[in-house]
Amino acid sequence: MAHPWSLPRMLTVVALALLPLTLPARNMPTPAAPALGASAAFDTLGRLYVVDTADGHVRLRRSDDEGTTFSAPVNVNMTAEPIYAEGENRPKIALGPHDELYVSWSQPRAKPWTGFVRFARSLDGGDHFSAPLTVHRDRREITHRFDAMAVDGHGRVVIAWIDKRDLEAANAANKPYEGAATYYSWADDGIHFVPGRKLMDQSCECCRIALARTAHGGVAAFFRGIWDDNRRDHAYAELRTDGQTGRATRATFSDWRIAGCPHQGPGLAIGADGVRHAVWYEATHGPTLWYGQLDPGHAPRHKLALASAGAAHADVATDGTNVWLAWNQIDAAGYALVVRTSTDGGVHFSAPRTLARSHGDVGSPQWLLHRHRAYVAWNTATGFRLLKLDGAPR
Amino acid sequence: MKPWLFLLAFALPGLSPAASLQPLNADAVDVLLQPPARGERFIALWSLDCAYCEANMQTLARLQQAHPERIELVTVATDSIAQRDAISARLDAAGMEQWPARAYADTTPDRINYLIDPQWGGEMPRTLVIRADGSRRGLSGALTPEQLAKLR
Repeated sequence: MAHPWSLPRMLTVVALALLPLTLPARNMPTPAAPALGASAAFDTLGRLYVVDTADGHVRLRRSDDEGTTFSAPVNVNMTAEPIYAEGENRPKIALGPHDELYVSWSQPRAKPWTGFVRFARSLDGGDHFSAPLTVHRDRREITHRFDAMAVDGHGRVVIAWIDKRDLEAANAANKPYEGAATYYSWADDGIHFVPGRKLMDQSCECCRIALARTAHGGVAAFFRGIWDDNRRDHAYAELRTDGQTGRATRATFSDWRIAGCPHQGPGLAIGADGVRHAVWYEATHGPTLWYGQLDPGHAPRHKLALASAGAAHADVATDGTNVWLAWNQIDAAGYALVVRTSTDGGVHFSAPRTLARSHGDVGSPQWLLHRHRAYVAWNTATGFRLLKLDGAPR
Repeated sequence: MKPWLFLLAFALPGLSPAASLQPLNADAVDVLLQPPARGERFIALWSLDCAYCEANMQTLARLQQAHPERIELVTVATDSIAQRDAISARLDAAGMEQWPARAYADTTPDRINYLIDPQWGGEMPRTLVIRADGSRRGLSGALTPEQLAKLR
């Protein structure tokens, strides 16, 4: 855009620039509050690990009493670096079969919308972490971010992310390309990642990816794609680690069209019976959170509109015939953590129930399972909370 | 940039064209949503993470410049004001520094999103039009010229 620095414009600029100097203190910049992106996981002994960010570090805390008290935080990355921890972004933690601690995060680069996917692990319960590594071999300053991480049934660490290398190539060749691609990689030994594999071209560029362990011990992804003319429905794909290419198949059919960023990614949990329980957001007829059982290529089964205006960032978990749903419900007073539960495999759900409230900001809820009990991890401006669901496990 | 302007920028510490970026807290949403005295107020909601948003703001800026007597334009970043420098730099780079600019005072955007428009789930960009008669209309996604014509 041309910038004609005419005198009137210059005077306007000076007037605007001087304006803040005349304003009272209440309009001064707000002190930086910590970002609320956090993740949690139990180890085999029931110790709770939480990762969040502070001052350029992913930091790890441990609780031996289900979140009542925590150890002093340990830095995962010794050298501070920028870390995405706002909105749909949060550092991730996953545990291996022998309580290896795996941590991933996305690191913003200098240019807008760019990032690198980072990873470190600890083999001694968090006392020491490996030096952070960059998961992808493509090191151009473009989008590689929105990391998602899971450990498969063989102990492999699997990481998926959003990647714009194909968009860049299409732009260079003057070819049309919508959105970004979804890539993944894995490390058989928990530290050496194979070159990235592409899962899907033209997927959504700004929603988190949901990963879940399949009934056969693999890892599957549920993520927002772009189908013809900016229809932002979701795809389901298994992340093959046997050299075969997994196929991303459309799995939701709301036909929500938006030339933009939905900023609300889905959730996925797969039962031992192979049923794919999913939650997702779309706004074709106003904001709506949905539950359904995915049948890739066809409309989801047992579809249920969970919540509408003010509902955001849902997560899902399953164990046996139990299915648990949680989301943030916003109103003028603040945030409520709302849950619905099913004891018949997701055919019927209880009415919504408020588990907790917060007047301050909150992060996205995350289900955790330990010994068939369900917990919700909820990071709030007044501290991390672990909420245990009432009732005996089935 | 002219040399004298360059010198002026150094003479006044912290001076940059988008230095007028102001926080928007929950209590201030009502004022932002007051109907304008005449014509329409366009509120361009955007975020640092949204690659579609700058083009949408520029579309609205062109509309405002074509009808300065009838249209107000305010840009509102849903990112925390704690990211003031990044937000200001992005507004400058997009040529959007001359319009009033706000950024959320909250760390997470959902509550202020809801107060601005309960029928909005936070998808970006979001354009809100408030008319002098008090009526409102919100649309998500980068606006096409046809959508823009309908909004007016």
